[in-house]
Amino acid sequence: MALCVTCLVDTFYPQVGEAVVNVLRRLGVDVTFPEDQTCCGQPAYNEGFQRDATAVARRLIDLFQDAEYVVVPSGSCAAMIKVHYPKLFHDDPDMLAKAEELAGRTYELSDFLVNVLQITEAGASFAGKATYQESCHLLRELHVSSEPRALVQGVQGTELVEMDQCDECCGFGGLFAVRYPHISAAILNEKLQAVEATGADVVVSSDMGCLMHMGGAISRRGMRVRPMHLAELLDQREGRVTW
Amino acid sequence: MQAGVQESAAKESFLQMVREALGRNTPLLHVPDHPALKTTLPRHQEKVVTIQAKVETRRSTLAARLVETATAAGWYVYRVASENEAALKVGEIARGLGARRAVRTNEDIFRRVDVDLALRNARVASIVLAAGRQRRRGELRALALQADLGISGVEYAVAETGTCVVVPRRGIARMTTLTPSALIVLVEEAKVLENLDDLLAIWRLENLRTRGRMPNYMTLVSGPSRTADIEFTLTTGVHGPGRVYLVLIA
Amino acid sequence: MVTVRSAQFPKASAKAIQDPHLQRLLGRIMRQLRDARAMAVDDISEQEWELLRQRARDIKAEAINHLDYYLDLLDRSVRRNGGYVHFVRTAAEANETVLTIAKRQGVKHVVKAKSMVTEEIGLTAFLEREGIETVETDLGEFIVQLAQEPSSHIVVPALHKSRQDVSELFQRKLQTQPTTDVDELCGITREKLRERFVEAEMGITGANFLVAETGTVVLVTNEGNGRMTTSLPRVHVVVAGLEKVVPALEDVGVFLKLLARSATGQRMTSYTTFASGPRGPSDEDGTEEFHLVIVDNGRTKLLRDEELREALYCIRCGACSNVCPVYGKVGGHAYGWVYSGPIGAVLAPVLTSQKQAKHLPYASTLCGACRDVCPVKIDLPKLLLRLRQHAAEGGPQGRRINTWMERLLVRRWSGAVRTRQAMERSLGLARLLQKPLLRSVPVPLRGSWTKDRDFPVVASESFHHLWKARLGRTES
Repeated sequence: MALCVTCLVDTFYPQVGEAVVNVLRRLGVDVTFPEDQTCCGQPAYNEGFQRDATAVARRLIDLFQDAEYVVVPSGSCAAMIKVHYPKLFHDDPDMLAKAEELAGRTYELSDFLVNVLQITEAGASFAGKATYQESCHLLRELHVSSEPRALVQGVQGTELVEMDQCDECCGFGGLFAVRYPHISAAILNEKLQAVEATGADVVVSSDMGCLMHMGGAISRRGMRVRPMHLAELLDQREGRVTW
Repeated sequence: MQAGVQESAAKESFLQMVREALGRNTPLLHVPDHPALKTTLPRHQEKVVTIQAKVETRRSTLAARLVETATAAGWYVYRVASENEAALKVGEIARGLGARRAVRTNEDIFRRVDVDLALRNARVASIVLAAGRQRRRGELRALALQADLGISGVEYAVAETGTCVVVPRRGIARMTTLTPSALIVLVEEAKVLENLDDLLAIWRLENLRTRGRMPNYMTLVSGPSRTADIEFTLTTGVHGPGRVYLVLIA
Repeated sequence: MVTVRSAQFPKASAKAIQDPHLQRLLGRIMRQLRDARAMAVDDISEQEWELLRQRARDIKAEAINHLDYYLDLLDRSVRRNGGYVHFVRTAAEANETVLTIAKRQGVKHVVKAKSMVTEEIGLTAFLEREGIETVETDLGEFIVQLAQEPSSHIVVPALHKSRQDVSELFQRKLQTQPTTDVDELCGITREKLRERFVEAEMGITGANFLVAETGTVVLVTNEGNGRMTTSLPRVHVVVAGLEKVVPALEDVGVFLKLLARSATGQRMTSYTTFASGPRGPSDEDGTEEFHLVIVDNGRTKLLRDEELREALYCIRCGACSNVCPVYGKVGGHAYGWVYSGPIGAVLAPVLTSQKQAKHLPYASTLCGACRDVCPVKIDLPKLLLRLRQHAAEGGPQGRRINTWMERLLVRRWSGAVRTRQAMERSLGLARLLQKPLLRSVPVPLRGSWTKDRDFPVVASESFHHLWKARLGRTES
């Protein structure tokens, strides 16, 4: 299985990548890491620069062509590969075939754990309340929503509490967060109120984009709740706090 | 004639613009293959016969469903066992409202349900007929505008949505069910259809049979006039009747 | 044409967010509409709902892909019913056509029911300038007309006005007694507008659907003003966009099951009217003359682009706005045109101008909530992306209009992700810029982030380094 670690994790949150590797290895998965990877192309794609995104997509498709499974710890990056790569090559039959083939063996992390490895318990242990923020792309483009929840509930000692409107966007939206920061902040404000209302110790998500955005305000405001990627939660072991 | 030619040219040029935008240069050679348009008259007739059979065999279920959905939609619903009871019920409602001036349509149902007598017993001072004779032009309209109670029959009712199908055919029938602040509608159980699809199928048949001469105006009424335009707070009786009564006759 | 203010989106949206009154009202109404819709959809099984959506989309696709055929059929059907049909390309032509009809009929007073396309073309203002009194009769529209403000939501136009606001408005403009009782405010409206209905010689409506097979105009309303407008005045004029055509009478049923539920959460609105031409010989009410004005006003531009074409499927239910996190914070006015929310963000750049509406396609997180609720399954995020692509790379319906800064950033980014080495160099530079001495070097967009949020630190060791250093070796 090849890890597509995502540029955000690589650059800002390498510990999340480490948690992913730990969790997968503990479950007996042989993890490889094509070292030439950089980015899936989503930032350019979302800004309308399809030509630039296509060049990046070609590269990624090539890099992962030999992997039996590709696992991505991000709903939006997984959706980029699975749903949008084929669109980029709609007029190039060869690349389209490759893109569709890659899409068939690419999985977001929770999707892989629950639907391929068929587990909901990863041997993790964490005493506390967790609330789950849906990743828009994971939910609406990949239809993965019960899987992350099952995994959270599978952590020993963790109580899952649902927040109000958990399926509503957090306001990140990639570059939207800096193009229209006032709107982004207003949406975020409401989201964090919902998070706080749950009394949760951690807010969990499958997307570092969402967590970077929520986490940025959480730390600015000195809120008690901690943002945590799903992989980090699943890597929590009794007596071993890893943040 | 000149205007007609101008209109025709404008239409042709407009359609050509649409055509070109769609990537075509010439009109379609064949009628598009759209099932809802392509069913032949005999086939469609069969469909309607099936609907009518359903109406008969499922009469009591549909009536019960109508009561449920109409109530949910804001109608005050009364079930009566006979035409006599229906007339009495109309009188009762009129008395409860303190209605003084009623207007009603000239539909067949009023031959069997003597509302006029019931209304007079309920102290309704004037009863205007939608297709009544008028002395002055516009007199009927003026009378309809003064009425505080409207009474009408229906062509059909739709159980799925709590809807009464009102087809004004003569006189000031449109205003009868619209301008007074209260409306009573008389519905015979035999007229209750299951859903909108059935209604539209029946209307389509009429359109096919009359070669495009189905009634020029039909309204599906599914409750009182309402709005939530101020602070999203629900209010009834803005322009149409604020109180609507459905009398369902077995 | 109505003034387009979409270019002011950044300022207008900021103002909206800082308005506590609007935020309160908007929050409450959005929640109520969303919940109402959810309940109404639950009423039907999920499977049936999805089937209906697909059927509705298929019918619209059929109508739009063969639009010339169905417009022709509609024309013939309406004329067979005794009505007149006018095909007009521009807003100016549409307004002139209505004026000509009005003049020929000696019309001095018009009553109008809600119609988005008439707002697009600025019909009311036009007629008033020509000396014809034109009164909006939909309560929300009546309020915004009196207040001389634009509408802020497709279904609840006066959403931004409290009952206090309305009471004060009525006191000023209608000389009524103050009251904040909503029933009383509606009662005032009923009384005042009834006088207008009786006096008017012409009624103007839009159309929810135009049935080609039978020449029928379908009006879906709750208040009854649509019925009044089509029953009392002598002349009925319907102004509708060319995309309102549906092929067959039986097609309407599919839309009726979706429309009210999606818009307000009702099974059916109080009134659904099927008007097919002028009154008959035995009618004493109803209109004597029936005119249908079919308007292009730029819609063929959407037709021309096969990817954007599905924007014409829209049945104007407003569900997309009700679930949009952006709309939920900024309201309708900020979009600066008659259509707001996700569908407005798609229509404005094409129907007004790409330049004026340049902000709108980007004013979205692409969360996809709109796509999930659209009764005709329009892929709104896909359309927004397409418009962004036009702005970034040019396209058939748009020119490249992005800024040199945007292009520079993308060039830099493309270079940085082209090879691992290039990425490492960029990361190195980023780590350098984090150092305290260099913090003041302006980095594009950083300030926009850091106003409300902390920005994460570029890790001193990327995941690549961790992998190479220790993770890459399989643990025994």
